Amino acid sequence: MKAKTRETLIAWGMVLPALLVISIIAFLPLFQTFYNSFFDASLRPDIEKRFVGFKNYADLFQDPRFLDALKNTIFFTIISVLFETILGLLIAVLVNQPFKLRGAVRAAMLIPWAIPTAISSQMWKWMFEPSTGIITKLLEALHMIKPGVPILGSPQTAMWAIIAVDVWKTTPFMALLILAGLQLIPEELYEAARIDGANVWQRFSKITIPLIQSTIGVALIFRTLDALRVFDVVFIMTRGSVNTETLAVYNRVLLMDRAFTGAWFGYGSALSVIIFALISVFAVIYIRSLKIKLE
Amino acid sequence: MKKLFVVSLLLVLSLVAFSRVTITMTAGAVGKELEVLYAQIDRFMKANPDIKVSVMPMPNSSTERHDLYVTYLAAGEKEPTVFMLDVIWPAEFAPFLEDLTADRSYFELDKFIPGTVKSGTVNGKIVAIPWFTDAGILYYRKDLLDKYGFKNPPKTWDELVKIAQTITAKEKNMYGFVWQGARYEGLVCDFMEFLISYGGDVIDDTGKVVINSKASVDALQFMVDLIYKYKVSPQAVTTYMEEEARISFLNGQAVFMRNWPYAWSTLNDPKESKVAGKVGVAPLPAGPAGRSAATLGGWMLGINKNATPEEKAAAKKLVKFLTSYDEQLYKAINAGQNPTMVDVYKDPELKKAAPFMVELYSMFVNAEPRPRTAKYSEISDVMQKYLHAALTQQMTAQQAIQDMAKDLNKVVAGR
Repeated sequence: MKAKTRETLIAWGMVLPALLVISIIAFLPLFQTFYNSFFDASLRPDIEKRFVGFKNYADLFQDPRFLDALKNTIFFTIISVLFETILGLLIAVLVNQPFKLRGAVRAAMLIPWAIPTAISSQMWKWMFEPSTGIITKLLEALHMIKPGVPILGSPQTAMWAIIAVDVWKTTPFMALLILAGLQLIPEELYEAARIDGANVWQRFSKITIPLIQSTIGVALIFRTLDALRVFDVVFIMTRGSVNTETLAVYNRVLLMDRAFTGAWFGYGSALSVIIFALISVFAVIYIRSLKIKLE
Repeated sequence: MKKLFVVSLLLVLSLVAFSRVTITMTAGAVGKELEVLYAQIDRFMKANPDIKVSVMPMPNSSTERHDLYVTYLAAGEKEPTVFMLDVIWPAEFAPFLEDLTADRSYFELDKFIPGTVKSGTVNGKIVAIPWFTDAGILYYRKDLLDKYGFKNPPKTWDELVKIAQTITAKEKNMYGFVWQGARYEGLVCDFMEFLISYGGDVIDDTGKVVINSKASVDALQFMVDLIYKYKVSPQAVTTYMEEEARISFLNGQAVFMRNWPYAWSTLNDPKESKVAGKVGVAPLPAGPAGRSAATLGGWMLGINKNATPEEKAAAKKLVKFLTSYDEQLYKAINAGQNPTMVDVYKDPELKKAAPFMVELYSMFVNAEPRPRTAKYSEISDVMQKYLHAALTQQMTAQQAIQDMAKDLNKVVAGR
């Protein structure tokens, strides 16, 4: 009995430093954001902090710019994650087959993901540039866009251009996670299925899919979480103009442009809390519907 | 005993030698700006060996500079010591800037253009010293206007459209008129010029929002028409900032350009420019109100309140040096940035290097300020949003102005 208490104590002692660090860097700011969201506050020294209860939340849902940003964020998330999952799955199945130079292909595949988003967004921005950008020239040659129409300056195309960059960048991440799931499936299962006369599609839908379902679920959670708080690619490519403003980009306006102009700090915090809540909702939906075991 | 004395003397001496104050300064890098500043700082450090100045180059977009400043100031950082401030910022940043009211005569502010001093004065306190002033001007291709028989640059917007259409119909790969139409601060500057030349205004002297007028709708409609109806501006202007416009003009792709005076020196540098020697400068054309307007731009220098007294003293010396007669003249000639001191405009050297500055002097003095309020960032943000929505045809000019007025009223009421 005594030995066990000792053991528990040692265990706590070992976990404590990590817990402490996590509370300081994760829970404390999170709590503070919650707390601030109930106040009217500013970083300007002459504006007094005032408790306002749920007013910031009520105001947000009256704010057309917030509602637009919410719509744009959800649209961006659904479309980009959908494409990333489908393409990621295809690529993962492909590079899971034995072929020459498989290692090299797997490594090369990761390059878009390895480039920092700020840099790749700027790179793509140049490629989308009117009159000189290579993609602009290509699409003009294919008669897919009218000459002189700036891709990133038109509401019809800007969001799709941003989604394309995000898909290009994060499909490799999706493929990598799914590939790891694929490699866990024992070869015997396929062999047995083949002996029983199952065709390619049956093997894929009855063996592969069920067995990588939870891997896909985890990948989906990661990606959705990232997509819902997307900032860099949007900010660099369009600064949120032409109907591409997402929640995080609007939040930058509230917290940076308006940091010293008025009592916007609590309002921005409330917006952060809503992003947090939105992410939680998506996470719960995935966990329930894909039956992911968290233990 | 004697030995100890020598050792301590040496120690004191070496301390003095190493007690150089280090200050940092933020700086822009548009055109030749940064190059010129480095040369000036070298001169300053030679004259003041006890001060070391390190320069922090900033992004070209003033919106991004603003973000960085917010981060430094909100954190209570003592760096940067000297801030390069857009004319629209002093009111907003005033609580974080050193009060320089008592140094009025040290900086010789009486010799400056009064409008620029006013930009740095917040509630009667001086918080920023004018470094260079700016006003929107019209650049035009003298050679092309001559070729097609136009003797003078356009006096009205209608004339500009006519000339641009005539020339672009005959010349290949040529835009008529490039300006700043991306969703950022520059768009507000350009709009203000159209707006005032159409007889409108954003906020009146009593602080009332007066944007909801026919003049505003017509001015914005004209900007939209430049792109879609008259087709003299490429649709790409809705993504242009100053540098995009300057580069397209520099490559000989445009007849007219609205820009700040800084573009002059690079446009006439034969090493970079395809149009060197072919460029003319004029006041922006007039609108139906019968007058033309130039937005007051320019940058000021402010000192961080959180710096130590030694750093502040060194910073004042640097600000005084950079805004002195000689350095303003040097900057005007080499970076094309307009002096804020009245007498510099009378200098024969300036007249030789940048004749337009002297010719357009009255325009720089009478440039129109943007609303002077601590809430300017919010006002500008609202304007950018609706102006850009109209320019990209997401809403009509009428709708954009109406919604803008509604939102501006909310901003002024405050939260």
